[in-house]
Amino acid sequence: MPIVAVVDDDEAVREALYDLLLVLGFACRTFDRAEAFMAEYVPHRFDCLITDVSMPGRSGLELQERLRELGSSMPVVIITADTSPATRARAMSGGALACLTKPVKDDVLLHHLRSALGQSASSRDDLRDTPSDE
Amino acid sequence: MSNLFQRAAAGGHASPHAMELADLASESVIVSDVHGVIRYWNAASEALYGWPAMAMVGQRIQTIGSLAHNGTDQFSALLREGRWEGVVHRRGLTGTEVVAAVRQIVRRDTSGAFLDIVEFGRNAGSLSEAAYLRMDAELQSSLAASWELDTSPARPLLDAIAEHRRSGITIDFDRHPDWVDKLLTATRILAVNDRAVRIFGAHAGHEQMIGQPVGAFWPAESRSVLATVLESVASDRTRLELRKMVLSGSLRDPVIKAWHSAEPRPPDAVFVTINGVTNDERTAWELQASESRYRRLVQYLPTALWQVDSRRAGEAFDQLKANGVRDIAGHLERNPDLVEHAKDVVRVTDVNLDAVSLFRAGNPADLIKPVRYIFAAAPGLAERVMISHFEGRRNLIEETRIRAFDGSIIDVLFTVTYPVPPEQLDNTFITMQDISERLNAEQQLRKLQADFSHAGRIATLGELATSIAHEINQPLSAIVTNGETSLRWLARADQNTEKVAQLTSRIVSNARRASDIIQRIRGMAAKHEPEKRLIDLNEVVEEALLFIRHDIDSKSIVLSSTFGADLPKILGDRIQLQQVIINLLVNSVQAIVQSGQPTRRIDAQTSIDDDGCVLFSVLDNGPGVPTADLARVFDSFFSTKDAGIGIGLAICQSIITAHGGRIAGANRPNGGAHFHFTLPVPTISGPDSSGAGDIVR
Repeated sequence: MPIVAVVDDDEAVREALYDLLLVLGFACRTFDRAEAFMAEYVPHRFDCLITDVSMPGRSGLELQERLRELGSSMPVVIITADTSPATRARAMSGGALACLTKPVKDDVLLHHLRSALGQSASSRDDLRDTPSDE
Repeated sequence: MSNLFQRAAAGGHASPHAMELADLASESVIVSDVHGVIRYWNAASEALYGWPAMAMVGQRIQTIGSLAHNGTDQFSALLREGRWEGVVHRRGLTGTEVVAAVRQIVRRDTSGAFLDIVEFGRNAGSLSEAAYLRMDAELQSSLAASWELDTSPARPLLDAIAEHRRSGITIDFDRHPDWVDKLLTATRILAVNDRAVRIFGAHAGHEQMIGQPVGAFWPAESRSVLATVLESVASDRTRLELRKMVLSGSLRDPVIKAWHSAEPRPPDAVFVTINGVTNDERTAWELQASESRYRRLVQYLPTALWQVDSRRAGEAFDQLKANGVRDIAGHLERNPDLVEHAKDVVRVTDVNLDAVSLFRAGNPADLIKPVRYIFAAAPGLAERVMISHFEGRRNLIEETRIRAFDGSIIDVLFTVTYPVPPEQLDNTFITMQDISERLNAEQQLRKLQADFSHAGRIATLGELATSIAHEINQPLSAIVTNGETSLRWLARADQNTEKVAQLTSRIVSNARRASDIIQRIRGMAAKHEPEKRLIDLNEVVEEALLFIRHDIDSKSIVLSSTFGADLPKILGDRIQLQQVIINLLVNSVQAIVQSGQPTRRIDAQTSIDDDGCVLFSVLDNGPGVPTADLARVFDSFFSTKDAGIGIGLAICQSIITAHGGRIAGANRPNGGAHFHFTLPVPTISGPDSSGAGDIVR
């Protein structure tokens, strides 16, 4: 079973995503901030990362950039309440698989997770153009 | 006389302007402060004692022995009485004893505060005891009214008169009133001393006299005398004129002296002094002046004021005390006729204009009668006034009511101030303030302040829109995800009812959470009258942080909050105080973002300060406030932000002030700003003071 990591400072959102991923057939680990995730991070431990942007401490975008610096190719899905084009552009140029706006639709999330996990080892360039949000 | 002139001239050189007239005085003039330290020592003092001013200024007069003729130290008597005169023995420069007849006067400002001691002295060394008395009498005259006059505009006239004189004509100014008028109009006042202002100034003050024609102030009965002496010293620069003059009023047997002033004064400047030899003339006119000042003050005091002769009550109290009465309250309760009697024998002796209008009376005379009418609508007040008086209290303050002469009942703040020995016992003062007007004004002020702070809250909510949207979006997001998860479980063959129940209860609690947030925003956005309740500042701060948390997170600012333990509750309006806290935090966030600091920090702290007030502080590591702006940050419409209109901190200040607290901003020593406010802890007693539901307006 693929393991998805969820980073969000809001407990209610973490709980909800945890159960959604479970019913969608994924295993899930949740973290309340980027630093907590990085403390447990080793390459290939997680198959995908779902992260919020705005959190105390390091933001989700900074987390993504840090992972890229470490050479990680783990697919990253950004979910945020922030609808600004700047945030979205930074997310996508940082290599995010998708940048979804809260509240997230379950089937859209599922679609992105499937494409991420199905092709995580191959080139993800094709995925950049995938519609990321409706 | 030429001796006097030379001494006068010698003293005119290196002295402060204010003392120039005294420098030119023939008498020793010494000014010292309350500790007896000499501040001024004129040329005549140098001549009399031999010590130069340089040696004496800064010394105590006692360093040269100053003892009164009978060997006592007169200093305390001087301070007590305000004046002292007599003969002192001092040590001269050459070691010889100098005996001087002196007159010392304590000067006070209009509020009665001590200014300095002025001493006028003359050599009395060769005089007999009898002559001392004569010397004392003469000393009275040393307190001269002094003028410095500029005769240069009158030069053509003086020259013309001199021409007449040279041609052998005797000049009699009594027969040339036109010359007198011209001379006194042309001659301008360069300087006058306080005494001249008091005697001749009429209603003019010092400032109004300078530059004016001397004729505008000189009394009519002695104008030709002044013209005569002016003409005399103008025609002979070495002359010192000394004449008796006529002067109605305060001075008896006045003598006028005039002489030409020496360099560096203008060449046509003439000094004129008038000495009046009377026994207690100064005290008399001082009293008169202060009495009339006092009358005017009382008359136009913007508070209704009664002066009451309470001697009869005082006598009765003395009698009661002599009879062993201690419990006055009980005694008055058993003898109510004592109170009724007092209402008739204690009389109002004076009232001011406000008292007349407060009682809707026609004129002051309507109120000058026994005090009974004052207590007509205030049951028990007369007893309480008497009890306080009997118990020797200084005053009594109460909110009460009066019945005005047109029958209307008015709420007033009533204050009575009792005489304390050695004050005169007939000086009991009652003041009343119409508090219905005050309450009305306070109401309007509260409304204005409420509108003002509401406008500020709306502006702040606007700035925090993104943060607030994020805050609501979190529970909504959780609700949607939980709902969708539920539906997926329900659609499956292996339904998990337990899971669905869990998800549904999460939906409910997240919906509640969203609703609470909206409630808070509504509270901030709503217009409401400030309501002061007992509240915990820590809770207020925690709630305020909810509004701005996202804003802080999204800007990668590290917020640390330190809440003081066991803070006493304060009396305040929760919404308004939240507004202040949010505003201070928003300011820090905005400043810090501009600064480009790699690590951005804001500390929010609560504690109790040294005065026992509850303190809230916001510290940041932003750029701080430019020093030049620090004094203005709380001014309305002061802003350093491009988009700011600059009312945020002004509103904060008005809110904190309305809470009886203080707000201030400063820069931290290592960079960054520190804004903080303190709120007083109410000292409320009584059974219902602990409930948070009390509303105190």
